[in-house]
Amino acid sequence: MSGLTLDKVTKSFGGAQVIHGADLAIQPGEFVVFVGPSGCGKSTLLRMIAGLEQISSGTLTIGGKVMNDVNPAERGVGMVFQSYALYPHLTVAENMGFSLRVAGRPLAERMARVRDVAETLQLGALLDRRPAQLSGGQRQRVAIGRVLVRQPGVFLFDEPLSNLDAELRVSMRIEIARLHRQLGATIVYVTHDQTEAMTLADRIVVLRAGRIEQVGAPLELYRNPANTFVAGFIGSPKMNLIPAEVVGSAAGRSLLALPSLGGAQVELPQPAPEGAKVTLGIRPEHFSATGTAGFTLNIDVIEHLGAESFAYGSRSDGGTVILAAKGRDDLIPGQPAETRFDPAQALLFAEDGRRLVV
Amino acid sequence: MALRHAGANPARGNAMAYAILSLISAYCAVPFFWAFLASVDGNASLFLKWPEDWTAANYTKVFLVEDGATWFFNSVVVVGCVTLLVMVLGGLGGYALSRTQAWWKRPFLYLILLIRVVPPPALIVPLYKVLLLANGAMQSLMRAVLPADWYRPAMRIFGFVDGYLGIILILTAMQLPLALWILKTFFDTVSKDYDEAALLDGASLTQRIRLVMLPLALPGLAAAGLFAFISAWGDFLMPLIFISSPELQMLPLGLFRAFLRVNTVDYGFLTALAVLYMIPSVVAFGLARRFLVQTFGGGVKG
Ligand SMILES: Nc1ncnc2c1ncn2[C@@H]1O[C@H](COP(=O)(O)OP(=O)(O)O)[C@@H](O)[C@H]1O
Ligand SMILES: [Mg+2]
Repeated sequence: MSGLTLDKVTKSFGGAQVIHGADLAIQPGEFVVFVGPSGCGKSTLLRMIAGLEQISSGTLTIGGKVMNDVNPAERGVGMVFQSYALYPHLTVAENMGFSLRVAGRPLAERMARVRDVAETLQLGALLDRRPAQLSGGQRQRVAIGRVLVRQPGVFLFDEPLSNLDAELRVSMRIEIARLHRQLGATIVYVTHDQTEAMTLADRIVVLRAGRIEQVGAPLELYRNPANTFVAGFIGSPKMNLIPAEVVGSAAGRSLLALPSLGGAQVELPQPAPEGAKVTLGIRPEHFSATGTAGFTLNIDVIEHLGAESFAYGSRSDGGTVILAAKGRDDLIPGQPAETRFDPAQALLFAEDGRRLVV
Repeated sequence: MALRHAGANPARGNAMAYAILSLISAYCAVPFFWAFLASVDGNASLFLKWPEDWTAANYTKVFLVEDGATWFFNSVVVVGCVTLLVMVLGGLGGYALSRTQAWWKRPFLYLILLIRVVPPPALIVPLYKVLLLANGAMQSLMRAVLPADWYRPAMRIFGFVDGYLGIILILTAMQLPLALWILKTFFDTVSKDYDEAALLDGASLTQRIRLVMLPLALPGLAAAGLFAFISAWGDFLMPLIFISSPELQMLPLGLFRAFLRVNTVDYGFLTALAVLYMIPSVVAFGLARRFLVQTFGGGVKG
């Protein structure tokens, strides 16, 4: 178990810079998830930690030692690939014991280690099979087992669940969480799925276009997103980001006009520069019949998910407003409805996307 | 499929298809069949007939009376070395060409294909010139370092003209482009994740090649090796130009010279030699067949 730090780490492929100065400190035993849209540089950052990509500039330390130019095998990291990358010509046991074999460890020791790990992952019955004879979930476990055998200080996962079907994804997610509790290992985990990030992470690192947008615990990001990007990315369904104009401001309160919602005006308990164009952020779950601010919305569709229901309404600028509709029989598709929210839970963002601090 | 729909009755359509296919197969098989029958006929002739006098004499003649054993040995040594070299160089080169992102990758791949495009006879004169020069250098070297009575046998092996080394290198160079293409394309289908997983597992370069890449590449190597073997085994022109000593004679030339040599053509002997000449190709194909299906049926599954 080791911690790791990134200090102004950058990466360029040829002329194109894809990571712009990443700073991050990961504590030993921490479960950190890199999340962001496809192509934002998550894998590149992870591969630089693993040593599979050269670091263009900046410093990487693992367990307190600078690792920029250390061989991948000597960094004390193990990686689970999205494709699993199990050697197809070797059995499960041989796959898991491969690192010990190339290190020249005796067969007996290898088998003992492999059996140990197979026990933890419930793979004991599969040791003589080949990867082609395994299901997706079993392959995933073998891939994790192969890394476990090496007892690395840091585990790296690159979208490990994206090849599994939805049901298996949930059960493997729980298994990975259990494994983390059991081993107390340091884990850096890459995903584009914010649900995975929210459920697994001690801390989430949100990336966009090669920049770290925000780092924080899941609920911290949910409650206090630093900008509209994080606000829109974390949470499901997405936070509503509604263009607004500050028409009045006094004594720590502000009055906002919402041109895309028929010019409705809402009052928020936070100051804002008068005349500024801002973005009003309201989470779907913060709409309720008892809210003190509100506007009229044309309801298009209502989706019932069982435990929850969501109503979708349209704005005049083409955007959508999503709101929790559980137990609201006043919302009828095709009809305008009075929607209310709690202004204390609404967030304000400046025109450049940054949060307007309270 | 098209034939099946040709007739109104599917069963009749099928029968038609089989009949036509059988006819085509028979047409293709007749020469082989004739060669085999004639080779075991004590009184073989130019015409297809059932042997009245079954005998193995033609085969024993190849080995005991004529120099068949030498020809066979030379062919096996030369073509065996060529196949091995092509697989090693093609494997390493194909791997490198698949993984590199260098700007010269595409130009290089098309350039080496030119070696296959130019008709080999057009290459004879420049090739001979170059090899003669190299041979001269090798002769001086051998004279300088070896005792006088070792000189001739050494030149048999290391000579560029009329020596094993020369013919092996030429045939290898001719087979390599196709092998590089086959293996480059093959490695394109082998995920880079395997290399990287092995790297993280702590495998050295040789361990990665031996324990991971070689087993994964077997189907591609078998395909490349098979094409190299069959093509080099059947090559007539290069041995004709570059081999002159009878001790270094290879099978195709042995066969050809035997055909020219005698006044009355000994069909039994010639066909026995032809059958022997065919066997290794058939065996090689049989060995490589199950890998070929994998290579041309969509790469490795895993
Ligand atoms: N080997 C490479 N050569 C050139 N560009 C690359 C290479 N690998 C990744 N990139 C680029 O870097 C960016 C980040 O890629 P990646 O880290 O794979 O994103 P993610 O994993 O977040 O989807 C992308 O724009 C991608 O095109
Ligand atoms: Mg990725």
